[in-house]
Amino acid sequence: MARTKGYPEALEKKLKDQRFYREDSTPDFVNRIEKISRTMAHMCFQCGTCTGSCPSAPRSSYRIRKFMRRAVLGLENEALTDPDLWLCTTCYSCTDRCPRDIAPTDVIMAMRNIAFTHDIVPVNFLKTVQAIYKTGHGVPNNDVNRAAREKLGLTRDPPTTHMYPEYMPGIRKILDHYHMKENADRIVKEREG
Amino acid sequence: MSESKANHTFAFYLGCIAPNRYPGCESAAIKTCKKLGIDLVPLKGASCCPAPGAFGAIDLNVWYAMAARNLVLAEQMKMDIALLCNGCYKSIWEVNHKLKHNKDLRDGVNEVLKEIDMEYKGTCNVYHIAELLYNEKYVGVNKVRDSVVTPMTGARIAVHYGCHLTKPHKDREFEKSIMLNTEHPSWMEELVAAIGATPVEYRNKMQCCGAGGGVRGYDIVHSLDITNEKMINIMEAKADALTNICPFCQLQFDRGQIEIKEKFGISYDLPVLHFCELLGLAQGMSPQELGLDLHAISCEPFLQKVL
Amino acid sequence: MMVEKKKTTTKKTETKKQEAKKVAPVKQEVKKQAAAPAPAAQNAVAAPGATTQKDARIGVFICHCGTNIAGSMDIQAVQDYAKTIPHVAYVDNYKYMCSMPGQTLIQKAVKENNLTGVVVAACTPRLHEPTFRTATKDAGLNPFRFEMANIRDQNSWVHMHDREGSTEKAKDAVRIAVAKAALLQDLFPKSVPVEPAAMVVGAGVAGMQASLDLAAAGIKTYLIESDMSIGGRMSQLDKTFPTLDCSQCILTPKMVDVGRSEKIELMTWSEVENVEGYIGNFEVTIKKKARGVMTPKEAAAKGIVGGGCNGCGDCDAVCPVIKPNVFEVGMKPRKAIYINHPQVVPLIYTIDFNACVKCGLCVTACGPEKRAIDLNMQDEFIKVKVGTVILATGYDIFPIENKQEWGYKRYENVITSLEFERLICASGPTGGHLVRPSDGQTPMRVAFVLCAGSRDNTGIGKPYCSRFCCMYSLKHAHQIVEKIPGCVPYIFYMDIRSFGKMYEEFYYRIQNEGAKFIRGRVANILEDPKTKNLHVYADDTLLDRPVDMEVDLVVLAAAIEPKADTNRTRKLFGVSCSQDGWLLEAHPKLNPCGTTTAGVFLAGVCQGPKDIPDTVAQAEGAASAASIPIHMGEVELEPYFAQCIEEKCAGCGMCVNLCPYSALSLVEKNGRTVMQVTEAKCKGCGTCGGFCPGGAIWMQHFATPQIVAQIDAFLLGGEE
Repeated sequence: MARTKGYPEALEKKLKDQRFYREDSTPDFVNRIEKISRTMAHMCFQCGTCTGSCPSAPRSSYRIRKFMRRAVLGLENEALTDPDLWLCTTCYSCTDRCPRDIAPTDVIMAMRNIAFTHDIVPVNFLKTVQAIYKTGHGVPNNDVNRAAREKLGLTRDPPTTHMYPEYMPGIRKILDHYHMKENADRIVKEREG
Repeated sequence: MSESKANHTFAFYLGCIAPNRYPGCESAAIKTCKKLGIDLVPLKGASCCPAPGAFGAIDLNVWYAMAARNLVLAEQMKMDIALLCNGCYKSIWEVNHKLKHNKDLRDGVNEVLKEIDMEYKGTCNVYHIAELLYNEKYVGVNKVRDSVVTPMTGARIAVHYGCHLTKPHKDREFEKSIMLNTEHPSWMEELVAAIGATPVEYRNKMQCCGAGGGVRGYDIVHSLDITNEKMINIMEAKADALTNICPFCQLQFDRGQIEIKEKFGISYDLPVLHFCELLGLAQGMSPQELGLDLHAISCEPFLQKVL
Repeated sequence: MMVEKKKTTTKKTETKKQEAKKVAPVKQEVKKQAAAPAPAAQNAVAAPGATTQKDARIGVFICHCGTNIAGSMDIQAVQDYAKTIPHVAYVDNYKYMCSMPGQTLIQKAVKENNLTGVVVAACTPRLHEPTFRTATKDAGLNPFRFEMANIRDQNSWVHMHDREGSTEKAKDAVRIAVAKAALLQDLFPKSVPVEPAAMVVGAGVAGMQASLDLAAAGIKTYLIESDMSIGGRMSQLDKTFPTLDCSQCILTPKMVDVGRSEKIELMTWSEVENVEGYIGNFEVTIKKKARGVMTPKEAAAKGIVGGGCNGCGDCDAVCPVIKPNVFEVGMKPRKAIYINHPQVVPLIYTIDFNACVKCGLCVTACGPEKRAIDLNMQDEFIKVKVGTVILATGYDIFPIENKQEWGYKRYENVITSLEFERLICASGPTGGHLVRPSDGQTPMRVAFVLCAGSRDNTGIGKPYCSRFCCMYSLKHAHQIVEKIPGCVPYIFYMDIRSFGKMYEEFYYRIQNEGAKFIRGRVANILEDPKTKNLHVYADDTLLDRPVDMEVDLVVLAAAIEPKADTNRTRKLFGVSCSQDGWLLEAHPKLNPCGTTTAGVFLAGVCQGPKDIPDTVAQAEGAASAASIPIHMGEVELEPYFAQCIEEKCAGCGMCVNLCPYSALSLVEKNGRTVMQVTEAKCKGCGTCGGFCPGGAIWMQHFATPQIVAQIDAFLLGGEE
């Protein structure tokens, strides 16, 4: 995230009231999270086992416990605009160990889902969508690989949507049902011009 | 060693990275399984699972629907699915599991599938090939051992289990409950020992490779830093090679080593092989037959040691 | 069977008593010799069981206590040294002297080496004196031929890092103990009969439970309560955690049982005025405060047939004086003649004579039949004799206004948890509707401040954890979520201490019901003067952000503190306080119901903060402990009492006035006035013996020659 080092912005930040007020919270944030994640985020008692298990935590400011806290308090804006939201590798170590039997990983995924509805999403995620819309694969085939496959006695294209493009309309229909391509194209265009 | 009669047939779900980046994994899986009595039939028209980190992050509903489409293809073939990637397992197995157990979710997915004249019924099961190899109901460690013609004697091999096959264990169901141990499992080591190699323990072996959740695409340095930590731990154990059961993890370790060299200036040159590739070698296949020459990190030093 | 047994014991005691008396003059001889030690021997040998320095054969047994002692000193060096001490005939060491093999070792050594005394260098007499006395007795010696050298608590534990120093100190301790052991005499404990009655002070749930248990064990029990009715704090509570049953509902059956029990003599509006005596024989003076109202029984005794208070409340209706009801924490009015609440036991009105204007309206209202009211009633003093006493005096709420940052008594909408209990209780001042005191509105945002005055080392609050605030605050959160749809409880906490059975599960439940937990101690509270809403300032330590939470009502989980009159109680019963002010138990782990005074036991919060389950458990424990001496029928007293050497006594009587236990008196014997000791009353404190100008008082087991020998052993390093 690029930061302007300009004085006015820094001052504005400095003068900002950092206190937490009741009005800061969106009370149904946790309910929406729970609906998407199918895990009882509100039962988090902040033991920190999740952050302790997290491979991303030691190398960044990403604290999954803090995201759980924001979920419980309904700090929607703060959670969704935090770039750390996208540092979860979804290894599920926290989910395996959570003593309250919550799936913090799925809470993060739910927050990302909600973020996407506000157009908050890193471009690489959208590029995967675009690739799948185009070929059915997130990591599509290429000519070097086609040659290699041939050498191994495999078909140049795997027997997936690559070899059977007739399946693609169905896939596009599903994606279109959720306006995925449309949104992805729009956001990528906005970001990259 | 003669090929056993095929006892089991599965629809082979390929995913993206195996066929499009490590085709050796694909061919190794088909050939090794064949020798162990498992026929892998192509799952025609399958798409990306879709990637749980990328798609699940944006809209879980799309993830459910897209995975369900792949499942329906297998249902139409009246076959169970076998696959060779942990990420695919997370999508295909877990969505199957969720749809089987949740009517609301199933109804929602079927409403979308209806638009393309499909219906998810919940008639197929999903297996990871590593699971099939370990479970004596399909293959089992003994049969794997019996299939070996070139034992990997003297090779020290570190195992990377990956995350999405077994974690979160509370949401998983395996016929071999031993696979639910996600803190310190050893069933992969049993398979490694079965092909004559020496499995080596290393610090924090259950740690993530760093690629998942879209992090590889979002912040490659962060992602590689996690990989690097694993590499340090593996190198300390003096492993000759790293084996895995997930092409995405393989990509992160294999190509990741090149990226680590570029970005951090550290080189490890540790060969990284999918277990199917390793099994292929043990069953007497040539490195070329297994596409090992396509790896970013040369497998030569390792091959010289074992062949 | 019981009677027979008792008889034999009594007989035995008598013989022992005679023996003990016989021994006394002999000791005098020994004492005489203290200045010139050598020739004492011959005289002493004449008395059975007596031993002189000359033929004393002492065994020294050094305990390692695992590594507690052995880890900090050179046991072998102490053993080698002990062998060189005069009179030492045998030395040994063992890993755990208190274990069976350790005790067997002592017994074997005594027999094989004809030892006359035993010294064990180990922990403290408080911990293992009884153990080694028994071992000494089993070895065939009088149990009082045993002496202990404390080389653990007062040595190895404090000099853990000074191996040499602690070894030297242990040598000293052993030498001093041997010096005394060589002069020890056979002593015989005295048994005294126990009055088959008990007294329980305080009729809260602890006192009631203890009384019911004692009564069920067939023991006559006096239950003394200073308030006008029983039930204590628990009767003020609405519901109880974690089961959520109504406090009154589970308490009233017990209250009724107490009122009905034939074995329990309930005395409300009464206080203990004076206590004399000792275990088995306490003489207690009880002040029955003038209540102004007679019970039917009291009326009958005065010849008013069919009279006395029947709780009709006619007096209450006419009384013109209005006062705040303390039971309702002042939130409801009462009259000068009143009852605390409709379910009181006993249902007898009481006049607050500090408020009463003696207008007599109540007397008229009561009518000529009942004639229950006596405006001129005076305090009455009653003496009872009991064998054992249980103190269950309860606690006070810490005056939380002293912690000014939270604004209690300054802001109307800051209340205490006890006030919350009354407000949420259906029988409370608002009929169970929680309202803001400022405007009577229903609060929709309620902050709970935990550790309000607890865990506070400022000197204003209390350093300890009050132990039940976490749980009742969780319960409060549940109650508002249940009663006020949409109301959000915010719980400001440092830790949630949900340690009891089903407590953590309760915590889980309350969180699931929607309570919001904010981990951070509330720094201060400010009031919005217009709305009377409150701004609660804290740090959400988990979010790492300062918090400004605007709420409608704040509930302070105020700390609890010892009763204001604890010091008086302490002096009355001769018990101690721990540094936090609560009454001190005999041992924090192994004797939590006992006190340092034999026959006095503790139950409930007076010993330290505890919730209802723990209170009831301790009450049952105390009742059991208090019933043991009563069921035994007699108790053995340590034979440490003073003895008068009559030939030397000048009958001056100075000791009589000094004795804090009234154990001494002057009697005529053979034409002379001499002092006499009532042994059962004597606690062996030594005040008289130390003072006696004629040296006529002999302190058994702590006799002057014995103590002088110890001092000599220390100062002279064992040299004569």
